[in-house]
Amino acid sequence: MMTTVFNIENLNLFYGDFHALKNIDMVIYKNQVTALIGPSGCGKSTFIRCLNRMNDLIPEAKMEGCVRFDGEECQIGGYDVIGLRKRVGMVFQKPNPFPMSIFDNVAFGPRQQGIKQKEVLQGIVEKALKQAALYEEVKDRLTSSALSLSGGQQQRLCIARALALEPEVILMDEPTSALDPLATQRIESLINDLKEDYTIVIVTHSMQQAARISDYTAFFYMGELREIDTTEKIFKAPRLKQTEDYITGRFG
Amino acid sequence: MRKKPWRQVILDGATYLATLLSVFALGMIFFYVIREGAHLLSFDLLRGDYHARGFVGLVEEETQGSFNLTGQQGENRYLVERLGLVLEQSFDLAGDGVIKVAYIDEASPLRRLTNQDPTSEQSFIGLETGAVLRRVSYVDHPTSLTSRGAASMARDMNDPDRALREVIFSTEGGGIRGSLITTLYLIFITLAIALPFGVLTAIYFNEFAPINRVTKAMRNFIETLTGVPSIIYGLLGITVFVPLTVRLTPAENANLIAGGLTLAVILLPVIIRTTEEALKVVSQDHRFASLALGANKTQTTFKVVLPQALPGILTATFLGIGRVIGESAALIFVLGAAIRDSVRIFEPSTSLAVHIWSMMTDEPANIALSSTIALIILLIVLTLNLAIKTTVWAFDWKGRRS
Ligand SMILES: Nc1ncnc2c1ncn2[C@@H]1O[C@H](COP(=O)(O)OP(=O)(O)OP(=O)(O)O)[C@@H](O)[C@H]1O
Ligand SMILES: [Mg+2]
Repeated sequence: MMTTVFNIENLNLFYGDFHALKNIDMVIYKNQVTALIGPSGCGKSTFIRCLNRMNDLIPEAKMEGCVRFDGEECQIGGYDVIGLRKRVGMVFQKPNPFPMSIFDNVAFGPRQQGIKQKEVLQGIVEKALKQAALYEEVKDRLTSSALSLSGGQQQRLCIARALALEPEVILMDEPTSALDPLATQRIESLINDLKEDYTIVIVTHSMQQAARISDYTAFFYMGELREIDTTEKIFKAPRLKQTEDYITGRFG
Repeated sequence: MRKKPWRQVILDGATYLATLLSVFALGMIFFYVIREGAHLLSFDLLRGDYHARGFVGLVEEETQGSFNLTGQQGENRYLVERLGLVLEQSFDLAGDGVIKVAYIDEASPLRRLTNQDPTSEQSFIGLETGAVLRRVSYVDHPTSLTSRGAASMARDMNDPDRALREVIFSTEGGGIRGSLITTLYLIFITLAIALPFGVLTAIYFNEFAPINRVTKAMRNFIETLTGVPSIIYGLLGITVFVPLTVRLTPAENANLIAGGLTLAVILLPVIIRTTEEALKVVSQDHRFASLALGANKTQTTFKVVLPQALPGILTATFLGIGRVIGESAALIFVLGAAIRDSVRIFEPSTSLAVHIWSMMTDEPANIALSSTIALIILLIVLTLNLAIKTTVWAFDWKGRRS
């Protein structure tokens, strides 16, 4: 029996009157890679943002139901979202390093936690960059601007920046869609390495990517979770015809 | 090639013509102030007192003799061998015609005169090189006046029949040091008040404020205030800030603090607006990235958003300084129109712009000096502009490369 990290119960989300997520029940397992697939606009990003409460920042978004992290009680209001976000990191679609040095980017999270000692920060930064498989490329220029890196390097830097907080879960919303095939490959192998220690939830539009890197795949359609199972099952013998059609590229 | 339709040709022509005229009109400003004012520009003008200090000295004993003044001749110079003195027809710092002492011999009797000023402790005063001769009176002879020129004065003084009685002279005046210092003080005081308030207000509106009717109304209101003529702020200054400073500080009437406060209020809308614009262009992605890293709103605002808005804030600062340097109407109320040489923050004084106003309301108007001050103002603004461009550029460069 695998441990669960997220237990999602009867989750609904509205953007004003628009019902973007409908009655979602789902579990996310620890140290597994869960891929979220589905046609554009089906609510994947909206769903992944529920996991670290980034939807709270969208004034018109209203969440109902339960997203229980790590066995916590079901809470919607008055929840310690800051504490949650330290434990659930996020990597965005577009690489978005801050216009600061490489070092400062990675040290940003820890610094906001009040860590000030240079040696401690150096240790954290080095470890995170190594985990993100970026260290060798940037170790000689940690003080140069993060914006001087290539797109693929920037995305790995953003992963390192999230890892520096030693989160338990990493959410990735189409992390490779802005990257070339080579950079994509590096991120994919990185995800493979990371799942030893982290739980990863990844949104992707690439079926091959989902098949290559994920253990579980969830198929969303029009705000509903239509099917979730091990990736093997979803790709070999999906329960629904619709899932099969989507995976084989017949629609979406 | 196909011929352009005539409508387009006219439009093209209008574009070129308009550009040409605009650049010409703007270039005229430089041309004009340089032509009218460049000749008065000097370090002495920047350093000098505005008010000439006058002295009245009584000639007690007059040694009759003759001094050897060979080698002192020159254009506009007139020798007074009898007294060991060389006069020069010259101009003071403000460009007014004066008679200056170009040379005075060590042994000249005019080096030792009895001070006629009863309030002074000094019993003897003396002419020095550079002093301005105002008037010389003689026993039983008509007085020599500046207006008759140096040649006539030198001739009179050299006349052995005329026994000297009284020499009235002064230091050279017309300098703008006081107004320059006042302007620098004003810039400092104003920015020290307006920048923190303006930037924090902009942060509130752009980062924290809920979007509702009240905040929208407040923003519109602030936007409107950017277009209000400064004289209206001057009224605010004289009805609020002057009494306030008089009550709370040693000030007795118009003063620099009230001036700074008034200018700060003038600047606030500009700084708020410019900073807001700068905050708006900061990528939303960076805010989300920061928040997703467990930073709270305050940390995100001050550690991620604000640093990226710094170039914009610097621009706001520059615009602000420009307004401070250029403001005159409001300041005449709250800071005064009397030019001072020693500037105190609890006393009235004038800024460079008001100094110009004061020169132009003189009878006759001193257009040359006004142009010189205008030139100085232009130079200050230009320097600041370059400084800020360089800083912004350095920031950008650091963010992108370093
Ligand atoms: N801030 C918002 N306000 C209103 N509606 C929104 C907002 N964000 C998303 N939506 C709507 O919610 C639905 C789901 O959007 P979401 O971004 O989650 O889709 P997605 O599955 O991530 O799509 P894509 O694959 O294109 O990224 C869409 O119909 C979208 O128009
Ligand atoms: Mg999306």
